[in-house]
Amino acid sequence: MKNLKKYMLSAAVLVAFMSCSSDDENRVANNVTLEFSNTFNNTPIVLGAATSADATVNTSDAGQVHHFSELKYVVSNIRLIKADGTEIPYNVNNLDTGATVVNQAKPETLNYVLSDIPVGDYTEIKFGLGVRSDLNILDQVSFPTFYDNAGSNDTEMHWEWGTGYRFTKIEGFYDTDNKELSFHSGSTLEGEEGNYTQGQDAYRDITLSLPSTATVGNNAPTIAIKADFDYLLSGDSHTVTLVSTENITNNATPSAHTATEMMKFVENIGGNGTTDVTGMFSITSVEN
Amino acid sequence: MKKLIRNIAIVLLITSCNNDDSKLITYNNPEISLNIPSDFPELNNSFYNNIPTEFGVELGKKLFFDKQLSADNTISCSSCHIQESAFADHNPKGIGIEGRIGLRNAPPVQNMAFMQFYNWDGNKLQLEDQPLVPIITHEEMDSSILEVIGKLETDPFYIELFNKAFEGEGITADDIYNSIAQYEYTLISSNSKYDKVKRNEGETFTESEAQGFAIFQDKCISCHSTELFTDQTFRNIGFPINPDIEEGGRTRITGLVEDYMRFRVPSLRNIEYTSPYGSFGQFATLEAVLDYLDNGVLEADNLDPILKDNDNRIPLTEEEKIDLIAFMKTLSDTEFLGL
Repeated sequence: MKNLKKYMLSAAVLVAFMSCSSDDENRVANNVTLEFSNTFNNTPIVLGAATSADATVNTSDAGQVHHFSELKYVVSNIRLIKADGTEIPYNVNNLDTGATVVNQAKPETLNYVLSDIPVGDYTEIKFGLGVRSDLNILDQVSFPTFYDNAGSNDTEMHWEWGTGYRFTKIEGFYDTDNKELSFHSGSTLEGEEGNYTQGQDAYRDITLSLPSTATVGNNAPTIAIKADFDYLLSGDSHTVTLVSTENITNNATPSAHTATEMMKFVENIGGNGTTDVTGMFSITSVEN
Repeated sequence: MKKLIRNIAIVLLITSCNNDDSKLITYNNPEISLNIPSDFPELNNSFYNNIPTEFGVELGKKLFFDKQLSADNTISCSSCHIQESAFADHNPKGIGIEGRIGLRNAPPVQNMAFMQFYNWDGNKLQLEDQPLVPIITHEEMDSSILEVIGKLETDPFYIELFNKAFEGEGITADDIYNSIAQYEYTLISSNSKYDKVKRNEGETFTESEAQGFAIFQDKCISCHSTELFTDQTFRNIGFPINPDIEEGGRTRITGLVEDYMRFRVPSLRNIEYTSPYGSFGQFATLEAVLDYLDNGVLEADNLDPILKDNDNRIPLTEEEKIDLIAFMKTLSDTEFLGL
């Protein structure tokens, strides 16, 4: 069955190519590249160790300077929406072919190419920050490629005790004395889908309108997506002050690996899921 | 749903067998009869979807003791879950491959069929969801399920056992999880002195044990209730806090501030054999636990009301401590422990 699928896909691709070479007017699909740039406001992020002179330093609304040494997040469940409202899902049920880990330390991960997107005019993009609950079970048997990519030693995006993926992993430093800052997010839902009995859902569905139409046809558009990590501490939902005490009610300790504090950061960068569906993301340009 | 489809498929297979003489090998794999104590809490619903069978349990037990589940073949489930320690061990925190130290004290694996929450923070609600966690955790076995399946597939005995246990599916991830859970469901401890006294099987409490039982009912039973000696709730009782930044107690799961440093009330069965005590083995002895509760616990906003209303302590005389420990030792089940 799998092989059959592959043959059919190959055949389809072949046909697509053949039609390209013979007659461009008959093209049925083309690539769309998502180009992620991770910033503090409009400044691209440069990672660095505690005392790095090169690292991009940001100042939060609470007045705390901070910079990152590590920055990763999972993008999955990508959908492109045509002007007429038609939604084109991109391998949304297959983490191997439809999900990726954006890793600031690996430039090649900043561009994610969506292949075989049907020709048309697209005006909106939706994607998930993190992994949808029904797929978030560390299923190595079904999705070995994504599992291995996410779990490799230099990526560490498995959340073992929750048997799910880490959705975000940020390590860095804050305040002038460079205290350690560590933020991991992931879901802790348990129970049957649609009837969860406990846990937090850190997955966020992001919806972004394109500032101009992405026309898939003879051209393969590039959509530039900005992830502004100034939102992490200074988002629309929460103004976070990092504190190193155990009083977790008003502020956040700099090591937010537990769900209480995690959700403040999740809502800042991924939105609150209702009134804020963009979080830290915006589209800077569409090039056709 | 998957199971339903599988069952229908099996029925179809069997039906077709009757019609023609195809050579499908069917194994007789009867459900095993478990001695379910009548006064224990209700079974976890997952049990009914994964009822222990003869070969399922045999397979699960073999896997439980198999070091191939770890990346470097040095530890098995049974390395930290040792029968003589009620399937716990004596390390403050779990120790995985290469001597890596985990976050918390390895919990005893006993009477799991009757539990609704697993682990210190109740992160798992079904036993079948648990085996993958230690297999993949860096500080435990640090392997992966495909790596494990790859090792097991080189052993014809395993292949046959999987086929016997699960209708000839071959070795699958779910079969590994389900068979280990089936074996663990059979680990029922209900033959302690306490049980025999209660069942009028000819044993009687000593005077000290009887005194201890009375004190227990007065001062402990509001949390350590039911025949499992835990009400399976999550409470902050002001024990010394694990300095590991990963630790948040139950809040790690729920995200609720009121769950900060709350942990599942542990069962007291076989408690004599599961030292050290506390979520990261803070206390070496039962005496140390009782002294701590007597002297006063850490203050916290969400400290359990029972302690809050009593000046953050459970006052106990030295005599009462001795009697309580004598009673707790009647919960030891030497048959279960294999002693």
